[in-house]
Amino acid sequence: METIRYFKILISHVHVDCFFAQGLRPGVPAESPAMVFATPTKVVSEAGSTVEYLGTNRVPDLQRLFQTSDGVPIHLKRGVPDKLLYRTTMALTIGGALYCLVALYFAAQPNKK
Amino acid sequence: MAHQAHAYHMVDPSPWPLTGAIAALLMTSGLAVWFHFHSTTLMILGTILLLLTMFQWWRDVVREGTFQGHHTPPVQKGLRYGMILFITSEVFFFLGFFWAFYHSSLAPTPELGGCWPPTGITTLDPFEVPLLNTAVLLASGVTVTWAHHSIMEGERKQAIQSLTLTIALGFYFTFLQAMEYYEAPFTIADGVYGSTFFVATGFHGLHVIIGSMFLAVCLLRQIHFHFTSEHHFGFEAAAWYWHFVDVVWLFLYISIYWWGS
Repeated sequence: METIRYFKILISHVHVDCFFAQGLRPGVPAESPAMVFATPTKVVSEAGSTVEYLGTNRVPDLQRLFQTSDGVPIHLKRGVPDKLLYRTTMALTIGGALYCLVALYFAAQPNKK
Repeated sequence: MAHQAHAYHMVDPSPWPLTGAIAALLMTSGLAVWFHFHSTTLMILGTILLLLTMFQWWRDVVREGTFQGHHTPPVQKGLRYGMILFITSEVFFFLGFFWAFYHSSLAPTPELGGCWPPTGITTLDPFEVPLLNTAVLLASGVTVTWAHHSIMEGERKQAIQSLTLTIALGFYFTFLQAMEYYEAPFTIADGVYGSTFFVATGFHGLHVIIGSMFLAVCLLRQIHFHFTSEHHFGFEAAAWYWHFVDVVWLFLYISIYWWGS
């Protein structure tokens, strides 16, 4: 058993725990690639020759986050930072529009000379 | 997600068209207030609102496409048509300024001395910095094509490097042009020569800056794994825009810098 485990580690450079979690299997490690971290998780196209160039791929996590069925519109779906930015923008929009109307009212007054 | 029996994208309700419209109102009336009452508050407020709108609107488009998968082939086709139509409208925008240049330069008035360049104008040597600028933009056209092929072939590191180089060349052009503007022996106030020169090259420079920003956003997206070898329309749109900017420069160089000197 031990020799089989060490042999697999030698060949595949895979983190030991994922084999333990799935139990010992005699053959090919089937669909385990998602749990491999020694070599980076690769998106289909990103088959470059270097390892871990400028960060890991967080797109699948973000896809899960943005695809939750909670009825929240896209511009607020990330939660607090979205809400803060939206409220700031809306405050500037409404405040700015009112300020603009006041400025235009005064600008429209005839010049008394 | 609601299930739909079609491949099109029914967008979520969004506040950004409203905030963008108000930003336009604030910028334009702010400009008038600046001219007449010497206060820039309204105009600056409008500009900030415009930047906030652009950031959030385009952030949402990225979320809808990359994270929610709404950019199906028919949707992407629509986006392609949209970008092509936008660039076409920009072509017409520049056509106007070229029309103005040729109107004034093909039949120079007696007030100019009946010649082009007008009497008293010392033009820039087209074979000095302007020629370097031409080489810089042409090279950037090569590097952006290299970046495209790298993305299509899944070469992550090369894509990042070639895209960075493209942006660097764009910034180098802007820097060189800024130096030229500073050192130029004539100003925008120097008759119709100055007007046509600085308005045409000025708007072009603005488009180089916009194009560089677009490419920079694409670089960030490429680093964050947004693009796949099959689907990277954001990058293609940026590359189209960049080639358009390059072609406009070539016309500017031939017409204003070379023929007009």
